Amino acid sequence: MMFEILMGLFFLSTVVMLVYLARHYVFTLTVLRRSRTFDNSKIVATSYYEPTVSILIPVRNEEYVIGKLLQQIAELTYPHEKMQVIVIDDASSDRTGEIIEAFATRYDFIEVLHRVKEVGGKGKASVLNFGLQFVTGEIVLFFDADYFPQRDIVNKLVREFIDLSVGAVQGRPVVFNESQTIVTRIVTLERIGGYRVGQEARDVLGLTPQFGGTIGGFRRSVLEEIGGFDESMLAEDTDLTFQVRLLGLGVSYVGDAECYEEAVCTWKAYWNQRHRWAKGHMQVCFKHSFSVLKSKKLTWKQKVDGLLLLHIYFVPVLTMLSFLAGASLVLFESSALVRALWFVLPLSFYSCVGNFAPFFEVGIGAYLDGRKRLQWLVPLLIFACLFNVLICTKAFLDVSAAKISGRGKNEWSKTKHVGIVNRYNENQLLRGKRL
Amino acid sequence: MEGRGKKVRRLATGFNRVLQFLFLETVILCSIFSLLFVNTESTIVLFIFDFLFISLAFQLIRTLSLKFGLLALGNLFGLFCNFIFDLLNIVGVKYLGEIFLVVYTISFPILNVSWIVTFWSLSLAALHNPINVTRNQP
Repeated sequence: MMFEILMGLFFLSTVVMLVYLARHYVFTLTVLRRSRTFDNSKIVATSYYEPTVSILIPVRNEEYVIGKLLQQIAELTYPHEKMQVIVIDDASSDRTGEIIEAFATRYDFIEVLHRVKEVGGKGKASVLNFGLQFVTGEIVLFFDADYFPQRDIVNKLVREFIDLSVGAVQGRPVVFNESQTIVTRIVTLERIGGYRVGQEARDVLGLTPQFGGTIGGFRRSVLEEIGGFDESMLAEDTDLTFQVRLLGLGVSYVGDAECYEEAVCTWKAYWNQRHRWAKGHMQVCFKHSFSVLKSKKLTWKQKVDGLLLLHIYFVPVLTMLSFLAGASLVLFESSALVRALWFVLPLSFYSCVGNFAPFFEVGIGAYLDGRKRLQWLVPLLIFACLFNVLICTKAFLDVSAAKISGRGKNEWSKTKHVGIVNRYNENQLLRGKRL
Repeated sequence: MEGRGKKVRRLATGFNRVLQFLFLETVILCSIFSLLFVNTESTIVLFIFDFLFISLAFQLIRTLSLKFGLLALGNLFGLFCNFIFDLLNIVGVKYLGEIFLVVYTISFPILNVSWIVTFWSLSLAALHNPINVTRNQP
């Protein structure tokens, strides 16, 4: 009996992983082919489209980074008379409020909202919902305080909305403090695999590119129809992505709309951030899996991909189970099937969590970005994967415990930003490089 | 002058074809040797490497000879690794007993994937070509 259970577990989990590997193999092939036939005529054709835009920036104790972001926002190429920038100060206890006020005094299109201590600190979704009450633009974009956008990013993001079937848009985050530590280098690889290949392929194949919570946005009418962000979700961005898809609208990915970000630089910060993502994603999975399955607005291809995307944070847990079951089977019974599956299993050890980008996806992404030196670090992904196995297993236990006990209180752990991106940018600008 | 240039080009094409044929032959020989002198698993590992390399790296814009050369080098490296693993297994079992066989069986696929990932990534770096880059550097 024990043997049959182990065999079933091993077989099922390894097959699931093979399905994910196949999915990402198709993604990699798609992007490789597209890179040879890329046509930018679409960009020229839609560049005259300039609707009114509201940009929401939630901030909480971001004195090191907010000034630079607002300066960059002030220098955006999008017509300022069509722009409304709302900075929501979520009860900051440092100089953040003071800095924002200074910018709001200087620029008409920058507005400030202050949240008092009693209502502050309830998470990003709560802050954004508060800000949404004041937006007036047709399109609502979101930026995080630690991001440094390109000057024409709004033009690039907004042009996608000329297509009425597009409900949301997502740009590309690029890690700027990559050389800081080994963690930032690994995060860079993850980002490259996830965005340069994963998101782009999903966009090209008509699947579901994911709204990542920042460097992206929605039609205001869509946000109003959905009712804003779900505050009970830790991954409010993924939740919104699926809500938009379930309305029958598309999410568009714009790879050339780049925004430079400060990646977490220690394993502890990495753990905290990924644990929050994993937990949030699992919550969204429980919330939307059935709706995706029975949706009449999604094709079968989109349903399959949507379900795979929803379950992606369970994959590291499956990897661990599969490894344990496989190792036990190899010890006691070594049939041809077990040995064959045991052989394929380690391939998934080199996959990044969050987007399940396997090593070949990351490698090709880094290649297409011209990151020759970074490719040498692809073998190190095994450490990130092993770390993610622990993170996702803990998140799975936490979410399961919350489901069983009925006490699912979310604790928002904010990632600390020290402004390393700004220091890097200053150095670049001093050297005369235009960003 | 033009006729000479044509002749040189034809000679270069012929040379490249011979080179590609030799590399391809190396790949096939590596698979046969792994099957005959190492074990079936090592042949499967080489096939996995070949599949990933041919289907992905071969689509990048570089000369076919370079791609075949790297593929052949990868196969030789893989064969060497598997041969060493196999020898390690024989020695380990002889001196440490059957328990080593268990350790070997569990770690063998992981060790093999390690060289595949490492060699594949380094090959991409060797195949680097600015023509393929579709994004500006930050």
